[in-house]
Amino acid sequence: MREMIKMVMVLTIITAVSGGILSVLKTSTEEKIESQVLKFQKAPAIGAIFDTATNDPLKERFKIPTKVKDKDIEITFFPAVLEDGSKAVAFEAKGAGFGGDVGLMVGIDLETDKIIKARVTTHSETPGIGSRVKDDATYVSQFTGMGFDATFKLKNNGGDIDALSGATVTSKGVSVAAAQVKKLYLKLKPQILNKMK
Amino acid sequence: MAQSIAKEFTKGLWTEIAPFRIVLGLCPILAVTNTVENGIGMGLATTFVLVFSNFFVSLFRNSIPAKVRIPCFIVIIATFVTIVELLMQAYTYPLFLKLGIFIPLIVVNCIVLGRAEAFASKNAPHLSIADGLGMGIGFTFSLAVLSAVREIFGTGAITFYETPIVLFGPSFEPFTFMVEAPGAFVCLGLLLCIMNLIPKK
Amino acid sequence: MDNKIKLTVSHAPFWHDGDSICKMNLHIMLAAMPAVIFGIVQFGMPALGVILLAVSSSMFFELIMNFATKRSLSTGDFDAALIGLLFGMMLPATTPWWVVVIGAFVAIVIGKQIYGGIGANPFNPVLVGVAILMVSWPGYFDSDAALLNYQFDFKALAPLAALKHQGVSAIDFFPIKTLIMGQQVGTIGTNFGLGLILGGIFLIIKGYIRWEITISYIAGIIITALIFNLSNSGSYAGPMFHLFSGYTLFGAIFLATENSSSPVNLIPMLIYGFLGGLMVILIRNLGAYPDGTVFAILLINLINPLIDYIRPKALGRGVNNA
Repeated sequence: MREMIKMVMVLTIITAVSGGILSVLKTSTEEKIESQVLKFQKAPAIGAIFDTATNDPLKERFKIPTKVKDKDIEITFFPAVLEDGSKAVAFEAKGAGFGGDVGLMVGIDLETDKIIKARVTTHSETPGIGSRVKDDATYVSQFTGMGFDATFKLKNNGGDIDALSGATVTSKGVSVAAAQVKKLYLKLKPQILNKMK
Repeated sequence: MAQSIAKEFTKGLWTEIAPFRIVLGLCPILAVTNTVENGIGMGLATTFVLVFSNFFVSLFRNSIPAKVRIPCFIVIIATFVTIVELLMQAYTYPLFLKLGIFIPLIVVNCIVLGRAEAFASKNAPHLSIADGLGMGIGFTFSLAVLSAVREIFGTGAITFYETPIVLFGPSFEPFTFMVEAPGAFVCLGLLLCIMNLIPKK
Repeated sequence: MDNKIKLTVSHAPFWHDGDSICKMNLHIMLAAMPAVIFGIVQFGMPALGVILLAVSSSMFFELIMNFATKRSLSTGDFDAALIGLLFGMMLPATTPWWVVVIGAFVAIVIGKQIYGGIGANPFNPVLVGVAILMVSWPGYFDSDAALLNYQFDFKALAPLAALKHQGVSAIDFFPIKTLIMGQQVGTIGTNFGLGLILGGIFLIIKGYIRWEITISYIAGIIITALIFNLSNSGSYAGPMFHLFSGYTLFGAIFLATENSSSPVNLIPMLIYGFLGGLMVILIRNLGAYPDGTVFAILLINLINPLIDYIRPKALGRGVNNA
């Protein structure tokens, strides 16, 4: 019986202490982590997409809750006012690639509903093969100017997206992400306009 | 005393070098060694966990009842793994993105639990730190070697902080197989074979 | 009393008629000759170079491994030469020399010798070599690009790649007759359907390859392709096109039948061959690669030890420790 109590005691103390340490660490790093996520994942993509923005899209970001496949998620939108005065918004969607999710940040002109630019944000694809979708900006430049009447599927599946040779699975992930962007945008556009007033 | 610390430290570097001699920790060595940067990052994260978990396991070794020692070890290890994960997220975010799921998986890395069970639970804290450090550095070294072989042949260059050091001329055509998953198995097999050709001492 | 001596004889995959390995390999090489000679005539000297380099470097690596593992020299059984020849036949004529040498190294060292040499390899060494090259340098296996400088008097498109990229309408470029006669863009030794079939019949008559595997493999191709074709002829090509294009016939005759990586009993052989054909068509129709033969046969090599457990019951009373 004594042994039993000791076991319970020791285990409880260890887990309690480690739980305490972790919660302290979690709260103290939370802010830092969020800024890192913004800095390394979103900022380069946003900067490349809205290179003529007259405002700070990162600072003015807002979130809209929605449902994707019955899961409640929040999507962060980055609004921008471009040099020529037109309003635009950028947000990210994901599609499954070869090594994991491929994130695609897409900037959309709110008036013409056309894609301004797209950039790959995160991926865990094979270096030198799938990773080219991010490193090689000419690949995602094919999205520039596309409207949402386009079919976001690879060409050999009857869509409008070119595959990157040798990286078909990754390209498919990108096209799935783009299709997701289309779906979300068409669904959430009223809310986006509402928020940006 | 000083001598035995040195002994515990050096055994992890060669005679018991983790992946090659005692063939432990193969999951990360196969999964993250496609670039040297990933390999070394993973190795250092594991070393951190090893040193601290060894130290704390050894510190509490007399108060942990034998029957619940494995859960206790795992809790201690998991705590440090989570710490590493949070710290990496906060300070080395790009590396965290690449290693991704493999950081939490350090918890189930055989080397960490293996050292806690086989060494730290039986030896004094200073020896356990030496052991953890030696094992960790040996593991980092193995990851670095394997990932160097794979990255050099697979891409023709070694990339640190986005700046590639190109080792072969433009006429080199990357042996892509090496950076793919099956390449890891073949490469590890060949390295193990070479290690077995070299006598232990 | 009756426990003293128990001679338990396993059921029979015994099969010997006084042949030697050397003789068998020479016969298989002979059977491959029509296709090889056709390839050399069609693609000229570079094809001959690739074949010779593949054979000689395979034998060279075999020798090196003999010395490294301190075994008696085994190049005399021509197994390495045969692997080299089959491997060379699967390459386009324009393959650079270093690709050939690396492939031969992989085939002989990683595919065969590491497992213990002849008869011990779980996978077909030729395919191990080809698969690794295909994954690493897909550009050199793209017959369209590789053979750009050749002038042909027939449609200069690799049939399977055309099918993959342009859809079923592409098969109109390739009448079955020209495919059988080897008038297609492709690798050195796998185009000439007629030659391969002749070689295959020769080997089957001589008993060097098992007809069960070849026939069931071809049946697998035809049946699966037919099912796809019947379900949607607009997106899947018919069985004859699949049978005579790419590596199909070569795989059925020379690759799937490789001795140590294929089963020995009747039912397993039929399953093995049929699954091979099925996988080829599945990869071609649904997968990412234009031709699935290489990966399909590696996959059936993988299940070979498992399906070989399906075997006839031994005669007489069952003995537990048999």
